[in-house]
Amino acid sequence: MANKIAVDPITRIEGHLRIEAQLEGGKIVNAWSSSTAFRGIETILKGRDPRDAHHFTQRFCGVCTTVHSMASIRAVEDALKIEIPTNARLIRNLIMGIQNVQDHVIHFYHLHALDWVDITSALAADPAATSKLAQSISDWPKSSTDYFKGVKERIAAFVNTGRLGPFQNAYWGHSAYKLPPEANLMAVAHYLEALEWQKDVIKIHAILGSKNPHPQTFLVGGVASPVDPNSQNGINADKIALMMKLFKKARDFVEKVYIPDLLAVAPFYTDWAGIGGGVGNFLSYGDFPESGGNDVDSYFFPRGIILGKDIANVLPVDERLITEYVTNSWYNYSGGDNKGLHPYQGETNHNYTGPKPPYKWLDTDGKYSWVKSPRYNDQPMEVGPLARILVAYGAGVPEVKGAVDFVLNTLGVGAGALFSTLGRTAARGVDCLILAQRNEKWLNELAANIGRGDYEVHNKERWDPSTWPSEAQGYGTHEAPRGALGHWIRIENGKIANYQAVVPSTWNAGPRDAAGQMGPYEAALIGTPIADPNKPVEILRTIHSFDPCLACAVH
Amino acid sequence: MLKVTYVWEWPVRITHWVNVISIVVLSVTGYYIGDPFITVQSTDQYVMGWMRAIHFAFAYAFSLSILVRLIWAIFGNEYAKFKAFFPWASKEGWKHIVGTFCYYTFLKKELPHAVGHNALAGMAYSGVFVLFMVQVVTGFALYGQFAPGSGWDNVFGSLLVTFGAQGMRLTHHVVMWLLIGFSIHHVYSGWLMDIKEKNGTLGSIFGGYKFVEREDN
Amino acid sequence: MKDLKAPTPVSIPEETLRKAEARGVSRRDFIKFCTATTATLALPMTLVPKVAQAVEDNRVPVIWVEYQSCSGDSEAFLRSNQPTAGDIILDFISLEYSEVVMAAAGHLAEEAKHAAMKKYAGKYVLVVEGSIPTGDGGVYCTTGGISAVDSCKELVKNAAATICVGSCSSFGGIPAAAPNPTGAVSVMDLVPGAPIINLPGCPVNAQNFTATVVHFLTFGSLPATDRLGRPKFGYGKRIHDNCERRGHFDAGQYAEAFGDAAHRDGHCLYKLGCKGPETFHNCPTVRYNEGVSWPVMSGHGCIGCSEPQFWDTMTPFYRRLPKVPGFGVEASVDKIGLGLAAATAVAFGAHGVMSAVRGGDKSDKD
Ligand code: HEM
Ligand code: HEM
Ligand code: NFV
Ligand code: SF4
Ligand code: SF4
Ligand code: F3S
Ligand SMILES: [Mg+2]
Repeated sequence: MANKIAVDPITRIEGHLRIEAQLEGGKIVNAWSSSTAFRGIETILKGRDPRDAHHFTQRFCGVCTTVHSMASIRAVEDALKIEIPTNARLIRNLIMGIQNVQDHVIHFYHLHALDWVDITSALAADPAATSKLAQSISDWPKSSTDYFKGVKERIAAFVNTGRLGPFQNAYWGHSAYKLPPEANLMAVAHYLEALEWQKDVIKIHAILGSKNPHPQTFLVGGVASPVDPNSQNGINADKIALMMKLFKKARDFVEKVYIPDLLAVAPFYTDWAGIGGGVGNFLSYGDFPESGGNDVDSYFFPRGIILGKDIANVLPVDERLITEYVTNSWYNYSGGDNKGLHPYQGETNHNYTGPKPPYKWLDTDGKYSWVKSPRYNDQPMEVGPLARILVAYGAGVPEVKGAVDFVLNTLGVGAGALFSTLGRTAARGVDCLILAQRNEKWLNELAANIGRGDYEVHNKERWDPSTWPSEAQGYGTHEAPRGALGHWIRIENGKIANYQAVVPSTWNAGPRDAAGQMGPYEAALIGTPIADPNKPVEILRTIHSFDPCLACAVH
Repeated sequence: MLKVTYVWEWPVRITHWVNVISIVVLSVTGYYIGDPFITVQSTDQYVMGWMRAIHFAFAYAFSLSILVRLIWAIFGNEYAKFKAFFPWASKEGWKHIVGTFCYYTFLKKELPHAVGHNALAGMAYSGVFVLFMVQVVTGFALYGQFAPGSGWDNVFGSLLVTFGAQGMRLTHHVVMWLLIGFSIHHVYSGWLMDIKEKNGTLGSIFGGYKFVEREDN
Repeated sequence: MKDLKAPTPVSIPEETLRKAEARGVSRRDFIKFCTATTATLALPMTLVPKVAQAVEDNRVPVIWVEYQSCSGDSEAFLRSNQPTAGDIILDFISLEYSEVVMAAAGHLAEEAKHAAMKKYAGKYVLVVEGSIPTGDGGVYCTTGGISAVDSCKELVKNAAATICVGSCSSFGGIPAAAPNPTGAVSVMDLVPGAPIINLPGCPVNAQNFTATVVHFLTFGSLPATDRLGRPKFGYGKRIHDNCERRGHFDAGQYAEAFGDAAHRDGHCLYKLGCKGPETFHNCPTVRYNEGVSWPVMSGHGCIGCSEPQFWDTMTPFYRRLPKVPGFGVEASVDKIGLGLAAATAVAFGAHGVMSAVRGGDKSDKD
């Protein structure tokens, strides 16, 4: 197996991901995606109070931190037929909105950028030329020659200590890096700025929900953050003003730094608009209700699927067609491993059959991952910002159409370019921009609603388990940063009888199904060129374009 | 012929009544601590504060009283000694246990004669003393939490690690109900014995004397 | 006459400030950081210069590993404020390995970890995030084909000290919640006796993390801990005893439902299940995200996230006390207790009636 390589760990992601790939003629001809860690939280949830579930599921992941709370309470609310108050809907939108924005920026600068940006080359940059470049793409104030000089000196001082810390042993100098030194220096400066920015804007989670990561305010039936303009202990005018400032700060950075950087870097890597396509099917549950409690028809991002890259045909989603396979995953099903199970009937019986550690290779002919393989009508589906944007674009959402067309025109490419590694990365930028712009609207609506004297944040009608039917089931969906997220719950006698989560990264990172169909990561890697098998930066590019989260995927 | 016998010496009687009063007060305040059913409107009240202060004051009284009673089990008369609480330790005692049990369950009509506690009562009291100790230990362990490193925390704090703070709290709370259950049974059987043995059981815990058949002594 | 220009005991030597400046850290930021950290550590302000020098002179090598984690503690670290994550990575420590942050991947990342472990053997600080699954030979978590069990043991043994960030590495956390499907354990259970400090919380408060690192740099040792290996500076007091709502608790003012008038007025969350009375953590004083808030401040009770096995002992979260084992979800301890008392009363009442109607009892001495 001289031409088989393994990348383990894939770093700059959440969790434990391993990619094995078969190379031929400098290209990947076969690929296997595996997660190598399992916790069993679905099993841990059994028998517990459904109102507690969101605290547990939140710990699926500390990166997308809010999303599993959201899906969980929506599942319980669906099962128990609970409508949430307007304030709760808006507060949830704001929490989800800033989560997606912040998560995307961290992904772009701190997780993905180093695949395209060579930090060491920044040391050769001319600060004056960097300043000129920065000012040509944006009116962001931090763009003077002195500023970039300072950044360059700081990096130089760091490098001169001879201790590169997190930047050692990377693929610096690899032929696949194409940016001129000035673009690299600008990107490094923004890497550091984004690090500051992300911790500031996410204070919105602390204002609305006590802390981040893992805000503590979600409740079945609403939220726990009180709303009251006449109290210092609730969301009042003061806190709204502070959030307004932070949302504006969030939007400014996305509009003036992230998007311009994306558009400045992309032209150097247009070959990646033809690499990394994947399965070509897309699923988005849609999200951000703009009226009622959780009215699907009012979702800002619509629900829909696209099959075979046919953007013109956005099809409706039928939840009953979702199944999960474990043919190649380390679980067994009581009714046989070759049958897909709908999540209501889902099982999580862990059954490791892989090699005993320490090992060199996985047995990719058998089971080889802790991730299950979700399928929609037996088709693999890609989920994520690209799916969300494509569905919204196909459905004609004006904000999305405008932003996508602007990006495509600026880069001078057609819509076909979206089905690629570069397209995925660009779509994330578009998603981030649109949400960064939408948040302030929801905040204004919240302020207006409070102004009308509505202080309700929690519907407690069915808070008490004695009001519940002895059996109930429901599901909750959410468009997490990484895409379509669903939780399914069955409640019996006030306790969780079964809990199944089918997560964005489960869809994307899953292994082959019973029919041998690859998951999106695997499919996207096929055909990727690898210049140096010892330094497969190309694998990182495509895999990172999905923004993997394996703690989410396996849970 | 009836004879008046001095059964309960004063330390027994005093500790009994200190315990009774403490338990009533500790149960009322403790219940409130567990479920603050009175919610007040104004900050210048101090309802929970007082409930806790009273709880802790009576907790000390109660603990001291138990300590005194345990010491008296060494120095006191035969009815006060540990022996009275552990009838199962002797053959004679076993006979009493079976006999009393059969009487209570209506299997037999004879009640085995006892001057101090009857055999079942003695056993129940040893159980109740265990519950008392559990309350003292869990109580002071919880009490120590507000000042880690303090005296009570040093004495009992490691129990919070072994059993968990919530486990200790739940135990403390459940034992309150067990004690309430015991009290109902206890007052009833005291009354029953009073009537059936016609020996002044109820009165004895006030005055110390019981009416006992002469041949007994 | 006294020299008015003599440095006060808290002033940081000029030399140290200049060195910090040369590395791009402003004087103001550096002084702010040293002062704040000294305060978090509950050290006297006279030690600020010592803290400053320690931070300045040794960039301690740090290896940060993740096992069964959700990366929440890594994210918490990215939200650090004084200093910021950027400052820490570039100026205060030498982060030799961190899966979330590092540029290298695959075997090159693993090589960096091993090289650091060898080069700095006995000198590096190990940070562990996530629990370690010991079940079935460690198959539930591997990195580069090596099990978490083997990897963790080796790294802990070679470290100068190990800092467990978050409740998973400190106490087992969520993977160890019943029925603990993977045999997850904490680091101190996996490697007993090693120099380990636990910084539980779900996630860890970044400020407690930086303070611990700085303590180590300043004194060359780990801070004093409680019975559970938690530093006293961060876990020495109960939430309840530092809570801003304590006045309402003592008064008897409680929120009865989320969103009711008392809840909006910031009354005590005790009746909504707050676990502040059984939780040791400095949340009320240090708070999160640069002091913006903490759970109780935002209207949701504490769930006890810094206590061992809190997923099992503190649940149900919206109830003050755990369930009584063996009774249904609905039954509270008081309902059961009341039932017990009523049943006793009824039983003895019946007994009394029976006794009264039955004649001919006699004592065996009659
Ligand atoms: C017969 C004796 C006692 C009874 C019936 C009793 C009852 C109770 C009850 C029902 C609670 C509320 C528990 C909860 O739901 O959280 C409580 C709390 C407490 N008790 Fe007792 N208790 C007794 C003796 C003691 C003793 C001897 C101490 C020793 C100091 C003590 C100290 C405490 C403490 C510290 C609390 C917690 C107070 C708080 O959280 O603010 N108790 N007690
Ligand atoms: C009106 C209330 C009560 C009355 C009239 C009463 C009466 C008595 C009597 C007559 C005895 C002696 C029993 C015997 O001959 O074996 C006794 C002993 C005892 N009672 Fe009570 N009792 C009362 C309440 C309680 C309560 C509430 C408790 C505790 C929960 C309690 C605990 C005990 C104990 C532990 C003893 C054994 C005393 C010793 O040996 O130190 N009593 N009580
Ligand atoms: N995949 C995933 Fe998550 C997200 N976004 C959740 O649903 O990352 Ni941690
Ligand atoms: S302690 Fe909490 S935040 Fe940290 S890894 Fe565990 S679940 Fe995540
Ligand atoms: S809110 Fe919680 S921690 Fe604060 S006083 Fe009330 S019970 Fe204690
Ligand atoms: S839940 Fe955790 S964050 Fe603090 S307030 Fe309670 S310990
Ligand atoms: Mg699942």
